[in-house]
Amino acid sequence: MWAYIVRRIFWTVPTVLGVVLLTFTLFSLVSRDPARQYAGKFVSEEVLQSIRHKMGVDKPAFLNFAAARQRGVAGLLDSQFFDVLLFRFPESMRYEQPVWSIFARKIPVSLAIQVPVFVVALGLELGLALICAAGRGRWPDYTITVLAVVGLSLPALSIYLAAQWFFGAYLELFPVAGWDTGAGAVRFAALPILVSVVASLGGGTRFYRTVAVDEIYSDYVRTARAKGVAEREVLLTHVLRNVLIPVITNTLASLPALVLGALFLERIFQIPGMGGLIVEAIFNQDRPVVMAAVYVISVAYCIMLLITDICYALVDPRVSLR
Amino acid sequence: MSTSAVSFASAAWDMAAPPRSLWRDAWARLRRNRLAKLCLAVVALYVVLALAGFTPHLQRAASEMRYDSYELPSWRAVGLWLGADHLGRSVLWRLLYGTRIALTVAVSACLISIFVGTTLGLIAGYFGRWIDSLVIWLFSTVNSVPAILLMIAMAYALQGFETLKDRLSGMPIVVLALGLTGWVGLCRLIRGEVMRHRERDYVVAARAAGAGHLRIMFRHILPNVFHLIIIDFSLGMVGCVQAEVALAFLGLGITDRPSWGRMIDDAKLELLRGVWWQVAAATAAIFILCLALNILGDALRDALDPRLRGTD
Repeated sequence: MWAYIVRRIFWTVPTVLGVVLLTFTLFSLVSRDPARQYAGKFVSEEVLQSIRHKMGVDKPAFLNFAAARQRGVAGLLDSQFFDVLLFRFPESMRYEQPVWSIFARKIPVSLAIQVPVFVVALGLELGLALICAAGRGRWPDYTITVLAVVGLSLPALSIYLAAQWFFGAYLELFPVAGWDTGAGAVRFAALPILVSVVASLGGGTRFYRTVAVDEIYSDYVRTARAKGVAEREVLLTHVLRNVLIPVITNTLASLPALVLGALFLERIFQIPGMGGLIVEAIFNQDRPVVMAAVYVISVAYCIMLLITDICYALVDPRVSLR
Repeated sequence: MSTSAVSFASAAWDMAAPPRSLWRDAWARLRRNRLAKLCLAVVALYVVLALAGFTPHLQRAASEMRYDSYELPSWRAVGLWLGADHLGRSVLWRLLYGTRIALTVAVSACLISIFVGTTLGLIAGYFGRWIDSLVIWLFSTVNSVPAILLMIAMAYALQGFETLKDRLSGMPIVVLALGLTGWVGLCRLIRGEVMRHRERDYVVAARAAGAGHLRIMFRHILPNVFHLIIIDFSLGMVGCVQAEVALAFLGLGITDRPSWGRMIDDAKLELLRGVWWQVAAATAAIFILCLALNILGDALRDALDPRLRGTD
């Protein structure tokens, strides 16, 4: 098993490099003149040059030979590619602050929404999936499955907008949008959390239902029933335990997405988190922020996938034998 | 397509019966599923409406400002059944025109992702070794960037190409962004499936008969994994229609044509002023299409699953 874990860790290196290359290719090679894109068509060459400097796109793409003569290896690596690889991002164009300090301010806000959503949604999804599995082929299963497909088919954006209008503007139960620091945030967070749970329930429920139904037909469940274990016990100890394996893979991998926050939710409810920041950065052509966000979250995702696979190997020894 | 290992296997169940192909079996099973038939009809209806969107008559009707701004839905005129938007254009005609945009984008994006995913999956699964490792690296890299971020990054980067942005109202950007992100799942599935087929008797026989790699891959193995592509197409369309809405919301989508995404996006400000008909119409259009495709995808999965053959 240790051999597997070591191999898996080594396998992460090319993947992370691939992510750098992908991010870098998209942002540097595909959009060839980001300064022009940012400033528009009617600016002088000097202004353009200063914007290029601010964005860090006046450096060579891969290796900086000019700087290498003066500063050695550190100068050689002073290029756009290594800036991305080594997390050296230019300052935000709009805030004129380092992207890291902006992220540090925004991430806790996103987590304040996403962590409750994650916990509540996961609990509900598992519960509903087990109810489906227990009553498979009968009305509870049908009802829940139909509702899950309905939820999957609705555009999340419409759900958010409708809930904002109905609960916020029409019934005036919650504030329509906004944010507050400290305990005051609870008032503003309640509706987004509620809506987000409802909007995300469909996919998870359907997935865990499939897993749970598969488990229910397996031999160990039949054995447990045959030796007289109560149905409730079968579900909550035997089945749930085995369902937890895909739960681990699914949930650990989705943790970086928590930091990302919900792009649209935060924009609509005016929550000053990471998602809102990224959307705003796209509208403002704030390239450093968009690029840093994509790269940092992707690397976090890679690491989480690594941890997931290791946990998976620890839980299920068959994995490391493949 | 019918002379595959699968149909030999099924013929062995009942030697007296004529050989049945997987496709005829699947079609028979799908036809017995009433809900799936209904969904197929719904999707067909959308396709017809999308084709209607190509007529100049509808294009003109969708851009004509002949009603009052935000006129309420009424029976007065067909164009007003779903009300009017802020410029006094008929929401009904714009919705129908949007069907064309949505289906064009979704189908083209799905075709791109299917092409990329199938080709890479076939090559990786068939050749194995370093080619396989390369493809695995490629898809685990793409998979490491959260899909929504990759889509955004791609659409954002492609905005720099003025020609892409100006032509066809930016549709190529949306299609590329969706198509080049969506291929990973299919690629992985096909790779796994091809690996299982590689050493099957029919492949060995084809090789012994002198068939080349390309012929074996595309003529012999591909038909046997084609059901995966059909299922992916059905469910991939759902993802594309929904993602178009997301991109429109970010201003990275289609620029000056009526699309469902833009109609929902407009509702950000409209809904609080009591204008509900535009967002309701676009949401309903998306919902019905996605519901039909979701159910159809599930039905196809059941109908095409080779393991379920002969069980009914």
